[in-house]
Amino acid sequence: MIFSYNWLKEYIESPLAPKDLSDVLTMTGTEVESVSSSGPSVSGVVTATVLGCASHPNADRLQLCEVTDGRETYSIVCGARNMTPGDRVALALDGAELPGGVRIKRSRIRGVESQGMMCSEVELGIKDTSEGIMILPQDIPPGRDINEVLGLKDFMMEVGVTPNRADLLSVRGLSREVSAVTGAPFRDKDFTLVEEGEPVDDYISVSIESGAPCRRYAARVIEGVTIGPSPDGLKKRLEAHGIRSVNNVVDATNYVMLEIGSPLHAFDLDRIGGRAIDVRLAGDGESIITIDSREMRLDPSMLVIADDRGPVALAGVMGGKSTEVTDATRNILLEAAWFLPSSVRRTSRKTNLSTDSSYRFERGVDINGLSRALDLCAVMIKRLAGGCVAKGTIDLYPEEIAQKPIGLRMERVRALLGVDPGKADALDILKRLGVQAEETHDGVFKAVAPSWRVDINEEIDLIEEISRLYGYDNIPVTLPASALRQAFASRAFNIKRKVKQVITSIGFIEVINYSFVSGNLFSMTGAATKEGVGILNPLTGEQTVMRDSLLPSLLDNLRRNLLKKNEDLRIFELAPIFTPKGKLPDERWKVAGLIYGLRWEYKWNYAKEWADFFDVKGAVERLFDGLGMYLPLEVAGVDASDRLFHPGKSAALLLNGRRCGVFGEAHPDVVQAFDLKRPVYLFEADIDSIVEAPAMKARYLPLPRFPESARDIAFIVDDRVPYGEIIKSIEDLDTKLIEKVELFDVYCGGNIPSGMRSMAIRIVYRSAERTLTYEEVESMHSGVAKRLAERFGAEIRV
Amino acid sequence: MNERLDNLLNRALGELASSSTKEDALKVKAAYLGRKGDLAILLKELGSLPPDQRKAAGEAINRVKDRIEEEAGALISRFDDAEKAERLSRERVDITLPGRSQRPGKAHPVTQVMDEIEAIFTGLGFDIAEGPEVELDYYNFEALNFPKDHPARDMQDTFFIGPDVLLRTHTSAVQIRVMESQAPPLKVIAPGTVYRRDSDITHSPMFHQVEGFMVDKGVRFTDLKGILTLFLHALFGEKTPVRFRPSFFPFTEPSAEVDIGCVICAGKGCRVCKGSGWLEILGAGMIHPEVFKAVKYDPEACTGFAFGLGVERIAMLKFGIDDLRLLFENDIRFLRQF
Repeated sequence: MIFSYNWLKEYIESPLAPKDLSDVLTMTGTEVESVSSSGPSVSGVVTATVLGCASHPNADRLQLCEVTDGRETYSIVCGARNMTPGDRVALALDGAELPGGVRIKRSRIRGVESQGMMCSEVELGIKDTSEGIMILPQDIPPGRDINEVLGLKDFMMEVGVTPNRADLLSVRGLSREVSAVTGAPFRDKDFTLVEEGEPVDDYISVSIESGAPCRRYAARVIEGVTIGPSPDGLKKRLEAHGIRSVNNVVDATNYVMLEIGSPLHAFDLDRIGGRAIDVRLAGDGESIITIDSREMRLDPSMLVIADDRGPVALAGVMGGKSTEVTDATRNILLEAAWFLPSSVRRTSRKTNLSTDSSYRFERGVDINGLSRALDLCAVMIKRLAGGCVAKGTIDLYPEEIAQKPIGLRMERVRALLGVDPGKADALDILKRLGVQAEETHDGVFKAVAPSWRVDINEEIDLIEEISRLYGYDNIPVTLPASALRQAFASRAFNIKRKVKQVITSIGFIEVINYSFVSGNLFSMTGAATKEGVGILNPLTGEQTVMRDSLLPSLLDNLRRNLLKKNEDLRIFELAPIFTPKGKLPDERWKVAGLIYGLRWEYKWNYAKEWADFFDVKGAVERLFDGLGMYLPLEVAGVDASDRLFHPGKSAALLLNGRRCGVFGEAHPDVVQAFDLKRPVYLFEADIDSIVEAPAMKARYLPLPRFPESARDIAFIVDDRVPYGEIIKSIEDLDTKLIEKVELFDVYCGGNIPSGMRSMAIRIVYRSAERTLTYEEVESMHSGVAKRLAERFGAEIRV
Repeated sequence: MNERLDNLLNRALGELASSSTKEDALKVKAAYLGRKGDLAILLKELGSLPPDQRKAAGEAINRVKDRIEEEAGALISRFDDAEKAERLSRERVDITLPGRSQRPGKAHPVTQVMDEIEAIFTGLGFDIAEGPEVELDYYNFEALNFPKDHPARDMQDTFFIGPDVLLRTHTSAVQIRVMESQAPPLKVIAPGTVYRRDSDITHSPMFHQVEGFMVDKGVRFTDLKGILTLFLHALFGEKTPVRFRPSFFPFTEPSAEVDIGCVICAGKGCRVCKGSGWLEILGAGMIHPEVFKAVKYDPEACTGFAFGLGVERIAMLKFGIDDLRLLFENDIRFLRQF
């Protein structure tokens, strides 16, 4: 909320300077977000006395005046004629600045020097129209700064009012708070309302439907008003507070709302049908056209003000077009009411109408402060629009609401704050806030909060108030005593952290994408007809559904990076995915990665090599290896649901026989859809499967004590025979003495027949118990050759 | 004999002195000291001397041998040194050429800051807890004392999945889940992803939070100040000013907004701190009795504090990032910098 410092001064005699006040308010919980000076920016303008005027020698329409600021006398050329000698005027001297950036300089006008300018109200930015120059009251001495004299300078303070402090949504309420936190006395306004008309009941009757969420409804009638524009000062003040000027009556209601905090509404009394209004819930199928000319369909959860034809206002939210105050309005029904905050909020949300009024009602208006607002507004309407106020107030307040007493224990204050503010200080704080407290027995108080503090209902609320005004700076710093215990983090949490460590260690850069994606990205994976976890109120079409795979996001990251010429990528993401389940969706954590472009950063001493399938496979192997999961990991073919992947260049990951991920080259359709120049490699693995798999423990194996014998074998074999089967068949020959089988060359083309490939394998033989003899090794190695020839039809080359 | 020895020595020394290469010196050495060298011949002649002269003659030969050995050795190592020096002066690399290594991966700056925060709190004995990102209204709002139709809900614009199902707006929801399943004493932090329906230069619809809370007998506001001051000093440095000022959150009372002295301008006032010299860094407060009642704790028997902070904001401050959106654009030129 924005409020004017000058307006505040109407309630606080000498408040702190704006900056200091904002510091005190901020440190007591009312955050001042900004202080900006406002009002017309006028400088170099002083009060002055006209000594004499004569006609300009060279121009009939101009005057040449002698003007003094009390020290010097200036000659001023002036176009206006409304001044006479002895008048007090506003004199802009050489170098003065006026609103709109106008700079006054001494200049020659029609051959005569003018040493400045006498200002009109328009030129000073006070009014929108004026005739002639501004004549100031005689009691103002000459030589004074005009800002000071006219109070032109103001400061607009922007305050972040927390939702609990409805009482601060008005100048008067803020002034009370300023008084409480700074000690400057609060001075309420006195005003007198003259009632001259007939008794109000002769004009209108009001009823509240039983059970309707309205606890109080008060109204006055003002007869014979003349609708017109508000004075400029009022307009400007409303505008400075973010409210557009409408007409004198509507402006008065808004002005009083800003000042007192109670929203008011003015109806055109003559347009209320049946001279009776009913505060009731809307009927099914009813509708209303609101002041902003929108038709709203209503339902029975919405509270309305209705006449005999139907709703004339959405209670607490907005008035209706049919009874709005227009230029033709003569008689006014002025409403001040208290509607249930939750009811106003519901209506406001359902109709998508948030107004200054609904904002205040939702947070809680002082139910006992309504009549003051109503009376002040009636006074103001009478002043601005004339007319006379009917006798008496309609005031339906079936059940007076009073704050209930709250017990407050000093012992509890100490226990919670860790400091003892002392009984006397605590009581003083409560008193400054308008809380009446009496000690019932030692250290226990009975406290009653003022009606405007709708947020004070329990002991804890009082403790908060005490701590707030005691000052958080005065509360010492301690460290809690607590039993020593090892901090716990779940296995899942630790594994996720470990995954990030391992995967960054092999060159992947972490990305973080939004969990919601567009329908397009969502439908890239899985079954064509799958269900998703949709967002009911997305911000944009790009964020409509919770993703069920991380891979489309990574592909999108690739696309965006390519636009920026980042052409070589190794990125990964670790995040949950969402699939529909019960009331809450299933959330499973995944790690996914993408490799594109060069295998190594291209530099003077690196080969320019493009990443391929085996880079992504290697990454997955290293990941599982780093997690201590390498033993139970198997690779199998992907199934048809992995539409993102090239069927011949991808594989599923199996952990203990259960599918836990997929990796490989992206499907050519994906490459095309993202307009990629070369293949992209992807993997995605399920973190929860890793978490659920049994933990591997590193265990020591004795280092070999006997020498190894290594033998190579090269052969040509059908290229459809998977290497995995070849290696397994060799290992199976002797699990004890064959220590290691390693592929060191794969070759096809050249003199190798088509459909065949040449492979070279090194086999390391070793016994843990003795040195193997030459004959033993030779015999095992020829067994290998035999097996390869028999099982795979391999043609042995060496 | 002695005369012959003297002549031999002089000749040897003279030849060594005129050797210009290591090979020359080795040749001289071999010629005198080798198995068929001059000294070997003399030694063989020892047998023909009278026995009483043999000892002295033998010693004289050995002296000459030692002398030649010493001189030759010194000369050879001089040649070696010179050769090594010459080789070292020839061999060199351009040390300004770039080195060779695998380019490392990087954790996202948000992850890095999150890790740092977690390390500080686990060091203080705080457990780490997690909860679902799609959450029930009950855990996200109601149990945290945000009644339905209450304006406090406006503080957190919400994405809805269903009538009572939403994307959690804060990790405070985890607070309720933990308290429902465990009895005090509790010291827990809950890091995670949260969502708010708000997107502009300073708001991202998805961001990260660390929520923390402590519940025990006799936990006080002074303890809240103590733990958070300690934390902020660990994160931003011992000398960072910290201030607490009253605020409002439905689930804590009294509540506090915690500021640190602006790390950009050291409190002098700049664009980042909007001239105030202070940066809002976290929200905190004493856990509201209504929250304890929701999880069936007795508010008279235990007290506690809770706090929450936005990780992106801290990452931006720590790394000097001036645009929140960079954190989610995933431009690798940006991500490589951390």
